[in-house]
Amino acid sequence: MFRRRLLFAFALVFAMHAVAADAPPAGDYAWPNLTDFLKQLIAKVGAPVKVYRLTMDRDGNVDLWIQDQQRRDLVDSYEYEKGVMSEPIPVKFEHYPSVGAVDHHVIELTTIDFQRLPGMVATAKAKLGLPDARVFRIELERGDSHGFLTYTDVPIWTIHVDTPRHDGRVEFSLDGKVLDADKD
Amino acid sequence: MPTRIEVALVAALVVACTEALAAEPVAPAHPLDDPAAVKAAFAARIGKPVHVMQFGFGEHYSDAIVQNDAAQDEFDRYEMVPGQPMKEGTPQKSGSVDCKKKIAFADLDLAAAARVLGEARAIAAGNGYKQPENVQLGADVFCNDFGWRAYLTSETNSDAMLEIVWSPAGASPKARRLKDDGWAKVDMKSLAAGTAKAPPAAPKNEPAPTPGDGRERDFTHGIEADLARVEAKVGAPLGFKHIRVDKEQLSMDVFSPSNKKRVATYLVDNKGEIRLWREDDTIPFDCNKPFSASDVPIAQLPAMIAGAPALIPPMAQGWVKDVSIYRSGLCGAPHVYIQVEDDRGYGNVEYDQRGRLVSAEVQ
Repeated sequence: MFRRRLLFAFALVFAMHAVAADAPPAGDYAWPNLTDFLKQLIAKVGAPVKVYRLTMDRDGNVDLWIQDQQRRDLVDSYEYEKGVMSEPIPVKFEHYPSVGAVDHHVIELTTIDFQRLPGMVATAKAKLGLPDARVFRIELERGDSHGFLTYTDVPIWTIHVDTPRHDGRVEFSLDGKVLDADKD
Repeated sequence: MPTRIEVALVAALVVACTEALAAEPVAPAHPLDDPAAVKAAFAARIGKPVHVMQFGFGEHYSDAIVQNDAAQDEFDRYEMVPGQPMKEGTPQKSGSVDCKKKIAFADLDLAAAARVLGEARAIAAGNGYKQPENVQLGADVFCNDFGWRAYLTSETNSDAMLEIVWSPAGASPKARRLKDDGWAKVDMKSLAAGTAKAPPAAPKNEPAPTPGDGRERDFTHGIEADLARVEAKVGAPLGFKHIRVDKEQLSMDVFSPSNKKRVATYLVDNKGEIRLWREDDTIPFDCNKPFSASDVPIAQLPAMIAGAPALIPPMAQGWVKDVSIYRSGLCGAPHVYIQVEDDRGYGNVEYDQRGRLVSAEVQ
Protein backbone atom coordinates (compact mmCIF):
# COMPACT_ATOMS: atom_id res chain seq x y z
CA MET A 1 0.00 0.00 0.00
CA PHE A 2 2.78 2.39 1.00
CA ARG A 3 4.67 1.56 -2.21
CA ARG A 4 1.58 2.20 -4.33
CA ARG A 5 1.04 5.53 -2.62
CA LEU A 6 4.66 6.49 -3.14
CA LEU A 7 4.52 5.57 -6.84
CA PHE A 8 1.31 7.58 -7.26
CA ALA A 9 2.84 10.63 -5.58
CA PHE A 10 5.97 10.34 -7.70
CA ALA A 11 3.94 10.10 -10.92
CA LEU A 12 1.83 13.04 -9.90
CA VAL A 13 4.73 15.27 -8.98
CA PHE A 14 6.40 14.38 -12.27
CA ALA A 15 3.24 15.24 -14.21
CA MET A 16 2.73 18.50 -12.41
CA HIS A 17 6.33 19.51 -12.97
CA ALA A 18 5.67 19.14 -16.68
CA VAL A 19 2.61 21.37 -16.38
CA ALA A 20 4.57 24.05 -14.59
CA ALA A 21 7.19 23.94 -17.31
CA ASP A 22 4.53 24.28 -20.02
CA ALA A 23 2.59 27.02 -18.27
CA PRO A 24 2.27 30.25 -20.21
CA PRO A 25 3.96 33.45 -19.04
CA ALA A 26 2.70 34.78 -15.73
CA GLY A 27 1.21 37.84 -17.45
CA ASP A 28 -1.29 35.64 -19.28
CA TYR A 29 -2.67 33.92 -16.21
CA ALA A 30 -1.43 33.61 -12.65
CA TRP A 31 -0.99 29.85 -12.86
CA PRO A 32 -0.98 28.34 -9.38
CA ASN A 33 1.78 25.97 -8.38
CA LEU A 34 -0.35 22.85 -8.67
CA THR A 35 2.72 20.69 -8.18
CA ASP A 36 3.20 22.06 -4.71
CA PHE A 37 -0.51 22.04 -3.88
CA LEU A 38 -1.12 18.45 -4.86
CA LYS A 39 2.08 17.35 -3.14
CA GLN A 40 0.84 18.95 0.09
CA LEU A 41 -2.62 17.47 -0.41
CA ILE A 42 -1.41 13.92 -1.00
CA ALA A 43 0.89 14.17 1.99
CA LYS A 44 -2.17 15.04 4.06
CA VAL A 45 -4.91 12.78 2.74
CA GLY A 46 -3.01 10.09 0.83
CA ALA A 47 -4.10 8.38 -2.37
CA PRO A 48 -6.50 7.94 -4.03
CA VAL A 49 -7.64 11.54 -4.47
CA LYS A 50 -11.12 11.79 -5.94
CA VAL A 51 -12.02 15.23 -7.19
CA TYR A 52 -15.57 16.47 -6.77
CA ARG A 53 -14.84 19.94 -8.17
CA LEU A 54 -11.81 22.07 -8.95
CA THR A 55 -11.92 25.85 -9.32
CA MET A 56 -9.13 28.30 -10.04
CA ASP A 57 -9.98 32.00 -9.87
CA ARG A 58 -8.56 35.01 -11.73
CA ASP A 59 -5.70 35.33 -9.23
CA GLY A 60 -4.75 31.66 -9.48
CA ASN A 61 -6.23 30.70 -6.10
CA VAL A 62 -7.43 27.11 -6.05
CA ASP A 63 -10.46 25.55 -4.37
CA LEU A 64 -10.43 21.76 -4.64
CA TRP A 65 -13.31 19.64 -3.35
CA ILE A 66 -12.46 16.01 -2.75
CA GLN A 67 -14.39 13.01 -1.48
CA ASP A 68 -13.49 11.88 2.04
CA GLN A 69 -12.31 8.29 1.49
CA GLN A 70 -13.15 7.35 5.09
CA ARG A 71 -16.72 8.73 4.84
CA ARG A 72 -17.55 8.61 1.14
CA ASP A 73 -20.77 10.63 1.49
CA LEU A 74 -18.73 13.61 2.68
CA VAL A 75 -16.84 16.16 0.62
CA ASP A 76 -14.14 18.50 1.90
CA SER A 77 -12.78 21.65 0.36
CA TYR A 78 -9.07 22.45 0.35
CA GLU A 79 -8.07 25.97 -0.63
CA TYR A 80 -4.61 26.86 -1.91
CA GLU A 81 -3.52 30.49 -1.89
CA LYS A 82 -0.01 31.92 -2.12
CA GLY A 83 1.55 28.54 -1.53
CA VAL A 84 -0.47 27.74 1.58
CA MET A 85 -3.02 24.92 1.70
CA SER A 86 -5.96 25.31 4.06
CA GLU A 87 -7.23 22.75 6.52
CA PRO A 88 -10.22 20.77 5.21
CA ILE A 89 -13.42 22.81 5.12
CA PRO A 90 -16.62 20.73 5.27
CA VAL A 91 -18.72 21.21 2.14
CA LYS A 92 -22.35 21.84 2.98
CA PHE A 93 -24.96 20.71 0.48
CA GLU A 94 -28.51 21.98 0.26
CA HIS A 95 -29.51 18.35 -0.26
CA TYR A 96 -27.33 15.61 1.20
CA PRO A 97 -25.94 13.52 -1.68
CA SER A 98 -25.94 9.76 -1.30
CA VAL A 99 -22.68 7.78 -1.32
CA GLY A 100 -23.67 6.52 -4.77
CA ALA A 101 -24.18 10.04 -6.08
CA VAL A 102 -20.82 11.24 -4.78
CA ASP A 103 -19.07 8.08 -6.06
CA HIS A 104 -20.53 8.74 -9.49
CA HIS A 105 -19.71 12.45 -9.48
CA VAL A 106 -16.05 12.32 -8.51
CA ILE A 107 -13.13 12.19 -10.95
CA GLU A 108 -9.97 10.21 -10.19
CA LEU A 109 -7.08 12.64 -9.94
CA THR A 110 -4.90 10.28 -11.97
CA THR A 111 -7.21 10.69 -14.98
CA ILE A 112 -6.80 14.47 -15.06
CA ASP A 113 -4.13 15.63 -17.47
CA PHE A 114 -3.19 19.05 -16.15
CA GLN A 115 -0.67 19.45 -18.95
CA ARG A 116 -3.55 20.14 -21.33
CA LEU A 117 -4.64 23.28 -19.48
CA PRO A 118 -2.44 25.87 -21.21
CA GLY A 119 -3.42 24.46 -24.58
CA MET A 120 -7.09 24.55 -23.63
CA VAL A 121 -6.77 28.21 -22.63
CA ALA A 122 -5.21 28.99 -26.03
CA THR A 123 -7.91 27.01 -27.82
CA ALA A 124 -10.64 28.79 -25.86
CA LYS A 125 -9.35 32.22 -26.87
CA ALA A 126 -9.07 31.17 -30.52
CA LYS A 127 -12.48 29.51 -30.54
CA LEU A 128 -14.11 32.64 -29.11
CA GLY A 129 -12.15 35.00 -31.36
CA LEU A 130 -10.79 36.78 -28.30
CA PRO A 131 -6.99 36.58 -28.59
CA ASP A 132 -6.47 39.24 -25.89
CA ALA A 133 -8.90 37.69 -23.41
CA ARG A 134 -7.83 36.98 -19.83
CA VAL A 135 -8.75 33.88 -17.90
CA PHE A 136 -11.00 34.69 -14.97
CA ARG A 137 -12.00 31.20 -13.86
CA ILE A 138 -11.15 27.61 -14.64
CA GLU A 139 -13.43 24.85 -13.40
CA LEU A 140 -13.49 21.08 -13.56
CA GLU A 141 -16.55 19.09 -12.56
CA ARG A 142 -18.60 16.22 -13.88
CA GLY A 143 -21.60 17.52 -15.80
CA ASP A 144 -24.14 15.46 -13.96
CA SER A 145 -25.70 18.11 -11.73
CA HIS A 146 -24.45 16.52 -8.53
CA GLY A 147 -25.65 13.00 -9.05
CA PHE A 148 -28.59 13.59 -11.40
CA LEU A 149 -27.63 12.36 -14.84
CA THR A 150 -27.69 14.92 -17.65
CA TYR A 151 -26.84 14.82 -21.32
CA THR A 152 -23.25 15.63 -20.47
CA ASP A 153 -22.43 12.97 -17.94
CA VAL A 154 -18.69 13.47 -18.32
CA PRO A 155 -16.04 15.50 -16.53
CA ILE A 156 -15.97 18.98 -18.07
CA TRP A 157 -13.27 21.59 -17.97
CA THR A 158 -14.75 25.07 -18.33
CA ILE A 159 -12.43 27.92 -19.22
CA HIS A 160 -13.98 31.34 -18.54
CA VAL A 161 -12.33 34.33 -20.19
CA ASP A 162 -13.17 37.98 -20.57
CA THR A 163 -12.15 41.19 -22.29
CA PRO A 164 -13.41 44.71 -21.61
CA ARG A 165 -16.14 44.05 -24.23
CA HIS A 166 -16.96 40.34 -23.97
CA ASP A 167 -17.34 37.38 -21.63
CA GLY A 168 -16.87 33.89 -22.98
CA ARG A 169 -16.60 30.31 -21.88
CA VAL A 170 -15.48 27.13 -23.56
CA GLU A 171 -16.10 23.62 -22.26
CA PHE A 172 -13.67 20.78 -22.88
CA SER A 173 -13.68 17.08 -22.20
CA LEU A 174 -10.82 15.65 -20.14
CA ASP A 175 -8.93 14.83 -23.34
CA GLY A 176 -9.15 18.44 -24.54
CA LYS A 177 -11.96 18.11 -27.07
CA VAL A 178 -14.16 21.21 -27.34
CA LEU A 179 -17.72 20.43 -26.16
CA ASP A 180 -19.30 23.86 -26.23
CA ALA A 181 -18.40 27.52 -26.67
CA ASP A 182 -20.38 30.57 -25.77
CA LYS A 183 -19.67 34.30 -25.97
CA ASP A 184 -21.69 37.38 -25.24
CA MET B 1 21.99 72.69 -15.07
CA PRO B 2 19.78 70.78 -17.53
CA THR B 3 21.39 69.46 -20.67
CA ARG B 4 20.13 70.37 -24.15
CA ILE B 5 18.59 66.90 -24.43
CA GLU B 6 16.69 67.35 -21.15
CA VAL B 7 15.39 70.75 -22.26
CA ALA B 8 14.25 69.28 -25.58
CA LEU B 9 12.50 66.40 -23.80
CA VAL B 10 10.64 68.73 -21.45
CA ALA B 11 9.60 70.92 -24.39
CA ALA B 12 8.36 67.89 -26.34
CA LEU B 13 6.40 66.74 -23.30
CA VAL B 14 4.76 70.15 -22.89
CA VAL B 15 3.82 70.22 -26.59
CA ALA B 16 2.41 66.69 -26.42
CA CYS B 17 0.32 67.48 -23.33
CA THR B 18 -0.98 70.72 -24.86
CA GLU B 19 -1.96 68.92 -28.05
CA ALA B 20 -3.66 66.18 -26.08
CA LEU B 21 -5.65 68.69 -24.05
CA ALA B 22 -6.52 70.69 -27.15
CA ALA B 23 -7.79 67.52 -28.81
CA GLU B 24 -10.23 66.77 -25.96
CA PRO B 25 -13.63 68.33 -26.67
CA VAL B 26 -14.94 70.43 -23.80
CA ALA B 27 -18.57 70.12 -22.74
CA PRO B 28 -20.65 73.30 -22.84
CA ALA B 29 -21.18 74.99 -19.47
CA HIS B 30 -24.98 75.20 -19.80
CA PRO B 31 -26.26 72.12 -21.65
CA LEU B 32 -29.96 72.98 -21.45
CA ASP B 33 -29.32 76.34 -23.11
CA ASP B 34 -27.20 74.89 -25.91
CA PRO B 35 -28.19 71.29 -26.71
CA ALA B 36 -26.57 71.58 -30.15
CA ALA B 37 -23.21 72.19 -28.46
CA VAL B 38 -23.78 69.09 -26.29
CA LYS B 39 -24.38 66.99 -29.39
CA ALA B 40 -21.32 68.51 -31.10
CA ALA B 41 -19.14 67.70 -28.07
CA PHE B 42 -20.33 64.07 -28.05
CA ALA B 43 -19.81 63.84 -31.83
CA ALA B 44 -16.26 65.16 -31.52
CA ARG B 45 -15.44 62.83 -28.64
CA ILE B 46 -16.92 59.73 -30.31
CA GLY B 47 -15.33 60.57 -33.65
CA LYS B 48 -16.88 57.76 -35.71
CA PRO B 49 -20.31 56.74 -37.03
CA VAL B 50 -22.41 55.24 -34.22
CA HIS B 51 -25.96 54.47 -33.22
CA VAL B 52 -27.30 55.61 -29.85
CA MET B 53 -28.69 52.90 -27.57
CA GLN B 54 -29.20 55.10 -24.49
CA PHE B 55 -28.76 58.79 -23.73
CA GLY B 56 -29.26 60.55 -20.41
CA PHE B 57 -29.64 64.34 -20.67
CA GLY B 58 -29.61 66.90 -17.84
CA GLU B 59 -27.91 70.14 -16.88
CA HIS B 60 -25.45 68.54 -14.44
CA TYR B 61 -24.51 65.36 -16.26
CA SER B 62 -25.14 63.53 -19.52
CA ASP B 63 -24.09 60.14 -20.76
CA ALA B 64 -24.52 57.94 -23.81
CA ILE B 65 -24.14 54.28 -24.69
CA VAL B 66 -23.38 53.95 -28.38
CA GLN B 67 -22.82 51.14 -30.85
CA ASN B 68 -19.98 51.34 -33.35
CA ASP B 69 -21.49 51.21 -36.86
CA ALA B 70 -18.35 49.53 -38.18
CA ALA B 71 -18.27 46.82 -35.47
CA GLN B 72 -21.75 46.18 -34.15
CA ASP B 73 -20.68 44.17 -31.11
CA GLU B 74 -18.69 47.16 -29.81
CA PHE B 75 -20.47 49.35 -27.31
CA ASP B 76 -18.96 52.32 -25.49
CA ARG B 77 -20.16 54.68 -22.81
CA TYR B 78 -19.35 58.39 -22.95
CA GLU B 79 -19.93 60.83 -20.11
CA MET B 80 -20.17 64.60 -20.02
CA VAL B 81 -19.88 67.05 -17.12
CA PRO B 82 -20.64 70.67 -18.07
CA GLY B 83 -17.53 72.78 -18.67
CA GLN B 84 -15.18 69.78 -18.36
CA PRO B 85 -13.12 68.05 -21.07
CA MET B 86 -14.82 64.89 -22.22
CA LYS B 87 -12.92 61.68 -21.55
CA GLU B 88 -12.60 58.78 -23.93
CA GLY B 89 -15.41 56.27 -23.96
CA THR B 90 -15.29 53.19 -21.78
CA PRO B 91 -15.93 49.80 -23.43
CA GLN B 92 -19.15 48.08 -22.35
CA LYS B 93 -19.68 44.34 -22.18
CA SER B 94 -21.68 43.32 -25.20
CA GLY B 95 -23.82 41.08 -22.99
CA SER B 96 -24.79 44.01 -20.78
CA VAL B 97 -26.69 45.71 -23.64
CA ASP B 98 -29.88 43.65 -23.52
CA CYS B 99 -32.06 45.74 -25.80
CA LYS B 100 -30.79 46.54 -29.27
CA LYS B 101 -33.28 49.32 -30.08
CA LYS B 102 -31.38 52.41 -31.24
CA ILE B 103 -31.27 55.52 -33.40
CA ALA B 104 -28.54 56.90 -35.64
CA PHE B 105 -26.45 59.53 -33.87
CA ALA B 106 -27.41 62.00 -36.61
CA ASP B 107 -31.06 61.62 -35.56
CA LEU B 108 -30.37 62.33 -31.87
CA ASP B 109 -32.51 65.37 -31.07
CA LEU B 110 -31.17 67.01 -27.93
CA ALA B 111 -33.26 70.13 -28.50
CA ALA B 112 -36.28 67.86 -28.07
CA ALA B 113 -34.65 66.40 -24.95
CA ALA B 114 -34.23 69.86 -23.43
CA ARG B 115 -37.85 70.68 -24.25
CA VAL B 116 -39.34 67.48 -22.79
CA LEU B 117 -37.22 67.88 -19.64
CA GLY B 118 -38.82 71.31 -19.23
CA GLU B 119 -42.28 69.79 -19.76
CA ALA B 120 -41.56 67.06 -17.21
CA ARG B 121 -40.47 69.64 -14.65
CA ALA B 122 -43.61 71.71 -15.23
CA ILE B 123 -45.77 68.61 -14.75
CA ALA B 124 -43.83 67.73 -11.59
CA ALA B 125 -44.33 71.23 -10.16
CA GLY B 126 -48.03 71.26 -11.03
CA ASN B 127 -48.81 67.83 -9.59
CA GLY B 128 -46.69 67.59 -6.46
CA TYR B 129 -43.79 65.48 -7.70
CA LYS B 130 -40.06 66.09 -7.22
CA GLN B 131 -38.22 67.81 -10.08
CA PRO B 132 -36.57 65.17 -12.30
CA GLU B 133 -32.80 65.47 -12.76
CA ASN B 134 -32.83 64.36 -16.37
CA VAL B 135 -34.60 62.60 -19.21
CA GLN B 136 -33.36 59.35 -20.68
CA LEU B 137 -33.54 58.09 -24.23
CA GLY B 138 -33.99 54.33 -24.44
CA ALA B 139 -36.47 51.48 -24.27
CA ASP B 140 -38.40 50.15 -21.28
CA VAL B 141 -37.43 46.97 -19.44
CA PHE B 142 -39.26 44.89 -22.03
CA CYS B 143 -37.34 46.58 -24.87
CA ASN B 144 -40.45 48.48 -26.02
CA ASP B 145 -41.37 52.13 -26.42
CA PHE B 146 -38.00 53.55 -27.43
CA GLY B 147 -38.11 57.25 -26.62
CA TRP B 148 -37.36 59.97 -24.08
CA ARG B 149 -38.44 59.08 -20.55
CA ALA B 150 -38.90 61.04 -17.38
CA TYR B 151 -39.55 59.38 -14.03
CA LEU B 152 -41.24 61.53 -11.40
CA THR B 153 -41.26 60.55 -7.73
CA SER B 154 -42.92 62.08 -4.70
CA GLU B 155 -41.28 63.69 -1.64
CA THR B 156 -44.04 62.47 0.63
CA ASN B 157 -44.99 59.08 -0.81
CA SER B 158 -42.17 56.68 -1.63
CA ASP B 159 -44.65 54.39 -3.44
CA ALA B 160 -45.71 57.07 -5.96
CA MET B 161 -44.04 57.13 -9.38
CA LEU B 162 -45.10 58.68 -12.68
CA GLU B 163 -43.48 57.77 -16.00
CA ILE B 164 -43.82 60.03 -19.04
CA VAL B 165 -42.59 58.84 -22.45
CA TRP B 166 -42.10 60.93 -25.59
CA SER B 167 -41.01 59.77 -29.04
CA PRO B 168 -37.32 60.32 -29.89
CA ALA B 169 -38.43 63.56 -31.57
CA GLY B 170 -40.11 64.69 -28.34
CA ALA B 171 -43.69 64.21 -29.58
CA SER B 172 -46.74 62.10 -28.58
CA PRO B 173 -46.23 62.06 -24.82
CA LYS B 174 -48.02 59.45 -22.75
CA ALA B 175 -47.99 58.89 -19.02
CA ARG B 176 -48.69 56.16 -16.51
CA ARG B 177 -48.30 55.81 -12.78
CA LEU B 178 -47.61 52.95 -10.43
CA LYS B 179 -50.85 51.70 -8.92
CA ASP B 180 -51.03 48.68 -6.63
CA ASP B 181 -48.78 46.13 -8.36
CA GLY B 182 -49.16 47.48 -11.91
CA TRP B 183 -49.36 50.61 -14.04
CA ALA B 184 -52.38 52.87 -14.66
CA LYS B 185 -52.61 55.33 -17.56
CA VAL B 186 -52.72 59.01 -16.69
CA ASP B 187 -54.23 61.63 -18.97
CA MET B 188 -51.60 64.11 -20.21
CA LYS B 189 -54.18 66.92 -20.24
CA SER B 190 -54.88 66.34 -16.54
CA LEU B 191 -51.17 66.41 -15.85
CA ALA B 192 -50.76 69.64 -17.81
CA ALA B 193 -53.68 71.16 -15.87
CA GLY B 194 -52.18 70.05 -12.56
CA THR B 195 -55.20 67.91 -11.66
CA ALA B 196 -53.47 64.51 -11.55
CA LYS B 197 -51.71 65.00 -8.23
CA ALA B 198 -49.27 62.48 -6.80
CA PRO B 199 -51.27 60.19 -4.51
CA PRO B 200 -50.67 60.83 -0.81
CA ALA B 201 -48.94 58.17 1.26
CA ALA B 202 -51.33 55.67 2.80
CA PRO B 203 -51.91 56.47 6.48
CA LYS B 204 -50.09 54.16 8.86
CA ASN B 205 -52.49 52.76 11.39
CA GLU B 206 -50.35 50.00 12.78
CA PRO B 207 -50.61 49.66 16.55
CA ALA B 208 -47.69 50.67 18.75
CA PRO B 209 -45.39 47.76 19.66
CA THR B 210 -45.90 46.15 23.04
CA PRO B 211 -42.64 46.70 24.95
CA GLY B 212 -40.56 43.78 26.12
CA ASP B 213 -40.74 42.60 29.72
CA GLY B 214 -36.98 42.54 30.27
CA ARG B 215 -36.74 38.75 30.27
CA GLU B 216 -34.21 37.27 27.81
CA ARG B 217 -35.80 34.53 25.73
CA ASP B 218 -34.76 31.46 23.78
CA PHE B 219 -37.97 30.49 22.00
CA THR B 220 -36.78 26.93 21.44
CA HIS B 221 -37.37 26.47 25.20
CA GLY B 222 -41.05 27.38 24.99
CA ILE B 223 -43.54 29.77 23.40
CA GLU B 224 -46.74 29.33 25.41
CA ALA B 225 -46.35 32.47 27.53
CA ASP B 226 -45.63 34.64 24.50
CA LEU B 227 -48.56 33.23 22.53
CA ALA B 228 -50.73 34.32 25.45
CA ARG B 229 -49.21 37.81 25.38
CA VAL B 230 -49.90 38.15 21.63
CA GLU B 231 -53.47 36.94 22.20
CA ALA B 232 -53.93 39.64 24.85
CA LYS B 233 -52.63 42.25 22.37
CA VAL B 234 -54.94 41.05 19.58
CA GLY B 235 -57.85 40.89 22.02
CA ALA B 236 -59.30 37.66 20.65
CA PRO B 237 -58.38 33.95 20.45
CA LEU B 238 -55.60 33.46 17.90
CA GLY B 239 -56.43 31.64 14.67
CA PHE B 240 -53.06 30.67 13.23
CA LYS B 241 -52.01 30.13 9.65
CA HIS B 242 -48.31 29.61 10.43
CA ILE B 243 -46.05 29.75 13.50
CA ARG B 244 -42.26 30.06 13.15
CA VAL B 245 -39.81 29.60 15.98
CA ASP B 246 -36.07 30.07 16.29
CA LYS B 247 -33.85 30.98 19.21
CA GLU B 248 -34.15 34.73 18.67
CA GLN B 249 -37.63 35.26 17.29
CA LEU B 250 -41.19 33.97 17.39
CA SER B 251 -43.37 34.94 14.47
CA MET B 252 -46.93 34.04 13.67
CA ASP B 253 -49.36 34.61 10.82
CA VAL B 254 -52.75 35.13 12.40
CA PHE B 255 -56.13 35.45 10.67
CA SER B 256 -57.79 38.76 11.50
CA PRO B 257 -60.60 38.18 14.07
CA SER B 258 -62.85 40.57 12.11
CA ASN B 259 -61.93 39.60 8.54
CA LYS B 260 -60.94 36.02 7.70
CA LYS B 261 -59.50 37.20 4.39
CA ARG B 262 -56.75 39.19 6.12
CA VAL B 263 -53.63 37.77 7.76
CA ALA B 264 -51.48 39.74 10.20
CA THR B 265 -47.91 38.77 11.00
CA TYR B 266 -46.78 39.42 14.58
CA LEU B 267 -43.15 39.24 15.68
CA VAL B 268 -41.91 38.70 19.20
CA ASP B 269 -38.21 39.44 19.74
CA ASN B 270 -35.95 37.85 22.32
CA LYS B 271 -36.65 40.72 24.77
CA GLY B 272 -40.37 40.11 24.48
CA GLU B 273 -41.31 43.12 22.32
CA ILE B 274 -44.41 42.34 20.24
CA ARG B 275 -44.78 44.11 16.91
CA LEU B 276 -47.31 43.89 14.08
CA TRP B 277 -44.97 43.50 11.10
CA ARG B 278 -47.39 43.35 8.17
CA GLU B 279 -50.94 42.67 7.08
CA ASP B 280 -51.86 41.00 3.79
CA ASP B 281 -54.87 39.57 2.01
CA THR B 282 -55.06 35.80 2.08
CA ILE B 283 -53.98 33.99 -1.08
CA PRO B 284 -56.90 32.40 -2.99
CA PHE B 285 -56.77 28.58 -3.12
CA ASP B 286 -54.12 28.59 -0.38
CA CYS B 287 -54.99 26.76 2.85
CA ASN B 288 -56.83 29.44 4.81
CA LYS B 289 -58.25 27.27 7.59
CA PRO B 290 -57.07 28.57 10.98
CA PHE B 291 -55.76 26.34 13.77
CA SER B 292 -55.52 27.16 17.44
CA ALA B 293 -52.73 26.61 19.96
CA SER B 294 -54.68 23.72 21.45
CA ASP B 295 -54.63 21.90 18.07
CA VAL B 296 -50.86 21.37 18.32
CA PRO B 297 -48.63 19.91 21.05
CA ILE B 298 -47.19 23.27 22.10
CA ALA B 299 -46.18 22.02 25.55
CA GLN B 300 -44.07 19.24 23.99
CA LEU B 301 -42.32 21.61 21.61
CA PRO B 302 -39.13 22.17 23.71
CA ALA B 303 -38.57 18.40 24.03
CA MET B 304 -39.25 17.84 20.33
CA ILE B 305 -36.75 20.55 19.41
CA ALA B 306 -34.06 19.33 21.80
CA GLY B 307 -34.38 15.75 20.56
CA ALA B 308 -34.62 16.44 16.83
CA PRO B 309 -30.90 16.19 15.81
CA ALA B 310 -30.49 12.78 17.45
CA LEU B 311 -33.37 11.43 15.39
CA ILE B 312 -31.35 11.81 12.17
CA PRO B 313 -28.37 9.43 12.59
CA PRO B 314 -25.77 11.33 10.55
CA MET B 315 -26.78 14.62 12.15
CA ALA B 316 -26.55 13.79 15.84
CA GLN B 317 -24.08 16.65 16.28
CA GLY B 318 -26.34 19.07 14.44
CA TRP B 319 -28.46 21.88 15.78
CA VAL B 320 -31.99 23.12 15.17
CA LYS B 321 -32.19 25.88 12.58
CA ASP B 322 -35.85 26.72 12.85
CA VAL B 323 -39.28 25.31 13.57
CA SER B 324 -42.53 25.81 11.70
CA ILE B 325 -46.06 24.80 12.55
CA TYR B 326 -48.64 24.78 9.77
CA ARG B 327 -51.28 22.56 8.24
CA SER B 328 -49.75 19.56 6.48
CA GLY B 329 -50.40 18.48 2.91
CA LEU B 330 -53.63 19.73 1.37
CA CYS B 331 -54.94 21.65 4.39
CA GLY B 332 -54.62 18.68 6.75
CA ALA B 333 -53.99 18.73 10.48
CA PRO B 334 -51.31 21.12 11.78
CA HIS B 335 -47.86 19.48 11.99
CA VAL B 336 -44.57 20.54 13.56
CA TYR B 337 -41.62 20.77 11.14
CA ILE B 338 -38.14 21.04 12.67
CA GLN B 339 -35.23 21.84 10.38
CA VAL B 340 -31.88 20.52 11.61
CA GLU B 341 -28.54 21.78 10.32
CA ASP B 342 -24.93 20.62 10.65
CA ASP B 343 -21.61 21.40 8.94
CA ARG B 344 -22.58 19.23 5.96
CA GLY B 345 -26.21 20.02 5.25
CA TYR B 346 -29.76 19.95 6.52
CA GLY B 347 -32.34 17.50 7.81
CA ASN B 348 -36.03 17.57 8.62
CA VAL B 349 -38.05 16.14 11.49
CA GLU B 350 -41.84 16.14 11.34
CA TYR B 351 -44.37 15.52 14.14
CA ASP B 352 -48.13 15.27 13.78
CA GLN B 353 -50.79 17.12 15.76
CA ARG B 354 -50.60 14.60 18.60
CA GLY B 355 -46.83 14.83 18.90
CA ARG B 356 -46.16 11.52 17.10
CA LEU B 357 -43.04 11.33 14.97
CA VAL B 358 -43.88 11.25 11.24
CA SER B 359 -40.40 11.36 9.69
CA ALA B 360 -36.78 12.22 10.42
CA GLU B 361 -34.40 12.31 7.47
CA VAL B 362 -31.59 14.20 5.84
CA GLN B 363 -32.57 16.74 3.23
